[in-house]
Amino acid sequence: MKTNKYLYFVLCSFVLAFMSSCEPKALTEDDVLINDEAKLQKLLDEANPDGYKIYNINSLLAAPYMTENGNFKSDSSMYRTRSKYIAGKDTMQLFSIDTLPTNGKGIYLRGRIATDDYGGNFYKTLVIQQLNDWEADGNPAIDQQCLRISVDMGSASGMFHQGQEIIIRCNGLAIGRYANQPQLCIPTYNNNIYASSFTQKVGWAPGRIPAAKFRHAALMVGSPDKSKLTYETLSLAEFETKYLNKYNDVAGARLLDARLIKLTDVHFTSSYDTLDSKAATYKARERACNRYNPAENDTIGNPEEDKNACTFAPTTANVGHPQSRYVKDAGDAHQVLISASEYSRYAHFYLPAAKYVGSITGVLSYYFDNGGYKPDQTKWAITPNNMDDILPECQKEDADPRWTPIEWKKGTAQPTE
Amino acid sequence: MAVLMLSVAAIAQTSLRGRVIDESTQTPIVGAKITLANQNISTTTNESGEFTLLYLDAVDEEVIIEADGYLAGLELINLQANQLLQLDDIRMQQDIVTQAQDEILLNLTEEEMSDDEGRSQSQASSSSASTDVFNSNTSFAWSTARYRNRGYQSNVENYYIEGLNFCSQERGQFNYSAMGGLNDASRYKEVLNPIEATNFTFGGIGQSTNYLMGASRYAQGWKVGVAGTNRNYKARVNATYSSGIMDNGWAVTAQLAYRFSPYVDMKGIIGEGIKYYSLGYFLTAEKIWDNARLKLITFGAPTERGQNAAVTQEVYDLTGSIYYNPYWGYQNGKVRNSRIVKSYDPTVIAAYEYKIDENQFIKAAVGYHYSMYSNSAINFYNAPDPRPDYYRNLPSAMWDGQIANRNSMAGGAGQLFDESGNHYPWGLFIGEDANGKSFGSGFIGHDGNLVGPSVDKAQYNALVDLWKARDNKTTQIDWEGIYAANISNNAISPNGSARYILERRHNDIQEANASFNYVNTQFDHLKMTLGVEGKFSQGIHYKTMDDLLGGNQWIDIDAFADRDIKELASNSGMTQEDIANVVKNEIRDGYDETILANGRHFGYDYRINMGNVKAWFQNEWTFNEVDLYYAIQLNYSSMQRTTNMYNGRAWYLTTLAMRTDAQNGTDNYWKYLGHQALKQLENGQVNAPGNILVGEAHHFLDPSFKLGATYKIDGRNHLKLNALAETRAPYARDAYISQRVHDRMVETIYTHDQAKNLKDFYAASEKLASVDLTYEFNYPIVRGRVTGFFTQSWDGTELNGYYDDEARTFVNQAMSGIGKRYMGVEAAMAVKLGTYFTLTGVASVGDYRYTSDATSITSAENGMPMAQRDATKELIYEVRDKVLLKGLKISTGPQANASLKLSFFHPKMWFADVTVSYHDWNYLSVAPSRRMQGLFTGTRTDGTPVNGWFGDEYANAIETTDNMLLDCDMDENGNVTYKNAVLDENGVPVLKYPYNLMTMQENLAAVNPLNRFIIDASVGKLLYLPNRQSLSINLSVSNLTNNTHFKTGGYQQARLPRAVIQGEKDYHNSVITANAWKYPSKYYYAWGVNFFLSVTYKF
Repeated sequence: MKTNKYLYFVLCSFVLAFMSSCEPKALTEDDVLINDEAKLQKLLDEANPDGYKIYNINSLLAAPYMTENGNFKSDSSMYRTRSKYIAGKDTMQLFSIDTLPTNGKGIYLRGRIATDDYGGNFYKTLVIQQLNDWEADGNPAIDQQCLRISVDMGSASGMFHQGQEIIIRCNGLAIGRYANQPQLCIPTYNNNIYASSFTQKVGWAPGRIPAAKFRHAALMVGSPDKSKLTYETLSLAEFETKYLNKYNDVAGARLLDARLIKLTDVHFTSSYDTLDSKAATYKARERACNRYNPAENDTIGNPEEDKNACTFAPTTANVGHPQSRYVKDAGDAHQVLISASEYSRYAHFYLPAAKYVGSITGVLSYYFDNGGYKPDQTKWAITPNNMDDILPECQKEDADPRWTPIEWKKGTAQPTE
Repeated sequence: MAVLMLSVAAIAQTSLRGRVIDESTQTPIVGAKITLANQNISTTTNESGEFTLLYLDAVDEEVIIEADGYLAGLELINLQANQLLQLDDIRMQQDIVTQAQDEILLNLTEEEMSDDEGRSQSQASSSSASTDVFNSNTSFAWSTARYRNRGYQSNVENYYIEGLNFCSQERGQFNYSAMGGLNDASRYKEVLNPIEATNFTFGGIGQSTNYLMGASRYAQGWKVGVAGTNRNYKARVNATYSSGIMDNGWAVTAQLAYRFSPYVDMKGIIGEGIKYYSLGYFLTAEKIWDNARLKLITFGAPTERGQNAAVTQEVYDLTGSIYYNPYWGYQNGKVRNSRIVKSYDPTVIAAYEYKIDENQFIKAAVGYHYSMYSNSAINFYNAPDPRPDYYRNLPSAMWDGQIANRNSMAGGAGQLFDESGNHYPWGLFIGEDANGKSFGSGFIGHDGNLVGPSVDKAQYNALVDLWKARDNKTTQIDWEGIYAANISNNAISPNGSARYILERRHNDIQEANASFNYVNTQFDHLKMTLGVEGKFSQGIHYKTMDDLLGGNQWIDIDAFADRDIKELASNSGMTQEDIANVVKNEIRDGYDETILANGRHFGYDYRINMGNVKAWFQNEWTFNEVDLYYAIQLNYSSMQRTTNMYNGRAWYLTTLAMRTDAQNGTDNYWKYLGHQALKQLENGQVNAPGNILVGEAHHFLDPSFKLGATYKIDGRNHLKLNALAETRAPYARDAYISQRVHDRMVETIYTHDQAKNLKDFYAASEKLASVDLTYEFNYPIVRGRVTGFFTQSWDGTELNGYYDDEARTFVNQAMSGIGKRYMGVEAAMAVKLGTYFTLTGVASVGDYRYTSDATSITSAENGMPMAQRDATKELIYEVRDKVLLKGLKISTGPQANASLKLSFFHPKMWFADVTVSYHDWNYLSVAPSRRMQGLFTGTRTDGTPVNGWFGDEYANAIETTDNMLLDCDMDENGNVTYKNAVLDENGVPVLKYPYNLMTMQENLAAVNPLNRFIIDASVGKLLYLPNRQSLSINLSVSNLTNNTHFKTGGYQQARLPRAVIQGEKDYHNSVITANAWKYPSKYYYAWGVNFFLSVTYKF
């Protein structure tokens, strides 16, 4: 019997010793975010035995890796070409890929994420903004400089939030231009024969960085802070002087792309651009949007059917380009297009009436399809993140007049205001 | 005087008496089967190990003694007329090899319990009947290959404990984890072959097993054991104590078994990223009276274990390991698995047996079982998919858009030529630009296949390198990235929803059951059995929060509905504000959608109540040359869903259906909640969250009938014929279209509910007919059997859920009218080779296939329309179509199996055996979504158009190439005809390439025939020690040659690759992309070499 008791004791001890099955300790902010420069430096030192350099956006764009030739020179081992419609004629160099060295010194890009994709306007794209108080490599931060990052990651903002400072290891990635928009990317072959003006686009082009690669490359520095994003605040008149006419300068406009703009004292005019290249002035191209009145015609003004409906972004029938609507300033002296994706959450909301005057913040983009870069047809547009960026003053509880966004409803006429 | 004479006569008849004991412990063996081979008479031993056989023929006889866990014994005797032959004690030797194998098998089946997505590797048929040559030699040896008896799904097998049914009423499966590691609890069992005469239940087309747990079966003394293995757990310790039958008539047995493995922090080995802790307890007490016995039993096994997943071949190739597990990652430098199963099945049983008189016997039992089963999973909201093996994270995602489509073919806008000047067929990489200029020759990818030149080699290789190096951020769950996403989200959105959480999905079931069994043998040659079984079960389903992963809170809304809210509003004509309800999982006021890390239920919280009563009787006649039996059963079952949450999609779908009803004069709106729930809502009885909404109740009554005959050619050669016909009501799992969201059933159940005739009454029930014919032989040197079987079923129901690329949301597909046929031959023969060796050969060759096409209804879970009529622009929310299943094979493991086993036994108690098994004809599970008629004809059976159907997209290819693409037409009766299509030998249309997309069904058998073999071996030694103590050591090695090319199963992903057509505004306009690699099939592999070493000490 003594043996039995002894065995029982041994068994019980064994059971207790192994019955603990806890998961690892929870991670804290200090574990997952880089909260001070010393920690960052230590991390980078460890990851880069050959040394490294941190660039801001404009210093990276000016780095010796960048050929600015737009002819894929940096990787000549592989034959790459654009389609015949551009080849040899692409003096504007709208498309390019410059791959960054894979090995050797670490190449880092530092910036702050400026976009949020929840609203649906930025699909698999992050825009980063230069840190405004930080310079690298002797290059002072150019006020407002921004860069698009093309990442193959749906809902990327859920991981890389607006306002988050990040440092991206760029080795093995590329800086390219897609229709003159600079971006951090990888080379891919664009075979989308369904795209609008695909003849210009089919060919090697900037493509999305695989999610795994991007997560590997991106380090988060500190907590996100949207207040550290700087928006250039302009009246429409100032915007026109500073930006709108620069669009004709291909190389200059390229460096303005994706900047964060806040336009003050603007109102919507419920109008769109016809893109009529024969029209001499924008006014000749401008048309009033179609109001929805199902009693008269269920199709006209119906954003599911009519691309000129009076909403932010009616259907493009899956073509995918953004839809745009004009805003103007007092006296309708100046105007710019505000663009939204047909996939955005507020796409089918009616445009606010002209009486609502306020500000609009967004990312400087171009309107419609820039494949051929036709300045006579195409101008800058501003892309907000979501409806909160549109006339926020008018959406406040105590605003007068107060704008309450209304969504299109099939069978119910557009309200008059 | 007359009385005295009679009793003398009784004693003086030819009879045999004896006692069976364990050789090592000298304790009696209960329930051993004693058979006289020449006379075909058998009996079992009582609790004292004694047996008596009366009225025998006075001849030379072979006495065969068989008992679970012991080697079969044989004694030659000479029976003298009118004399009682009293045998010496028969000493049985323990079969430690089989004991160990049973234990391995028990663990194997337990680990493969399906997750709540219903996707799991098919279970091996697990219980072995030691007395049947075929079963005892296949259940372990073929478990590696996931062989299933006769190709049946596990839900047709019946599992009982002491006469009580323990199969889930929701899914029909037995939950092995309830008995986790309790090898003694599961040691004794009766196993009945399909459709034989039975004693504890009516049975069915599958095997029936009854675990016997009475304490008197266990030999008095202690037994302690330790075991080591490299399977999912690494070690096991256990201890059993049995009192034996004590003077007061009680016997008590108790077992504790603890199995464990800490997290396996090593990549590329069995169980990587898995932890395992399980403590099993088993307590049984039995009181024996002269004519009665009472058994009280309780057991349970709290278990916590990590899970593994099937992945695509690309991932296996990249990681170079069949053990790759995508479910884990590092957190703080330590392994953490995102899928942790917690299970605990406390069970209590009371069973009573009473012998009324010599000819009447009753058994009654009651039981209660509460099964707690839950597993954790990462959920995410507006954040990148965290799964490392998500298709976009794989190198093959770079092929998207790089595969030639119709434009590349002859006459296409971008027609391409290969180096020989031939047109590029669709489905291959494009190789030239739109100028017709070649890119070059491409390069060789990681798997040895050519990658087209339009894929950037450096980028592709960079991703391949990350995978090959098993980079933690790439190939595992990035816990740090997930925490970072949540913690940084807190800074900008402190009151917003966490981006990632670890939720726990509970699928509990509680059940109470009772059974009664009466046996009457008062008439000569006739045994009558009457049984009644009753069971009430409640499936309990809800989610709780396991870990907020650094987030502040989780807002409980439906992500799919939230994402589609614009479309939902447009389609329904409601405003976004109007339908804000649709995203809510509970729409009643007062529900707090903010979920913190606690035990609160969220997401869904519903129950399925199921009732079941079976009544059956059986008559068996035994004559000298012929045995006959028949049995009849009536089976009543019911199901009813109740929910504590009023789901926004249920409300939305009800509202939509009301409108459609008004337009079309239909009556469907009530189906999403049920009449009673609607009334409750109308009366304001259920306004508060937590108030129970009661759904529709559904009742079924299914008859079964079986009969059989045994013709005894002589004592050693028998012929048996059995047949069964029955209907079976669907399991709840296959009956509710989207049980988490609403009450809607598959259509046939409404037909049944409203039936006015017999045909409609059985519209929802599967009809089964089965017949088998067996020849059995039994000689001292050779014994075995051959069985041919044929089973046909009609009107089966099956439910699938998947993400639909065209509708771009999660859809549910309910199929009905499925017909299946199982036919084949089982054969087994054991030959004694001299004193020490036995050679056993077993084979099972079958053909298990679908015999009819199915009809299906597909609907979006969030209420999005699925199609639009061309002419009327009417939106269709439930699309109906035919699923082309006819002729396809049923994927329930290999259909051709054979093995040869050489066993060695030395009387000094050395054991050894080696088994070589061959398996073939194992077929991929086909996704019905890839075999919809509309994909081939462009039109569904409901007349709605399919965008981007095969024939449309690739019509040119059929005319101009020999790619053997499938092209179909419909005849005037709506039946599909195939034109220009190549049919396989079963008349099934074949799509040659790309075969992952949709095609001839893949045989999973390895390409190299040598890799279709599995070799197992075991060796054991039983050591007798003084004072009736013993020590046994056993080593069992499976897959000795480390064959890592053996696929045990796999399934096509239901998701079909589609791309949106730009510039066309028709509803859901998309084409099937030519990228066959986008959603390829996922596979399960058999483990390579693995061992189980156990040491048991008895005292």
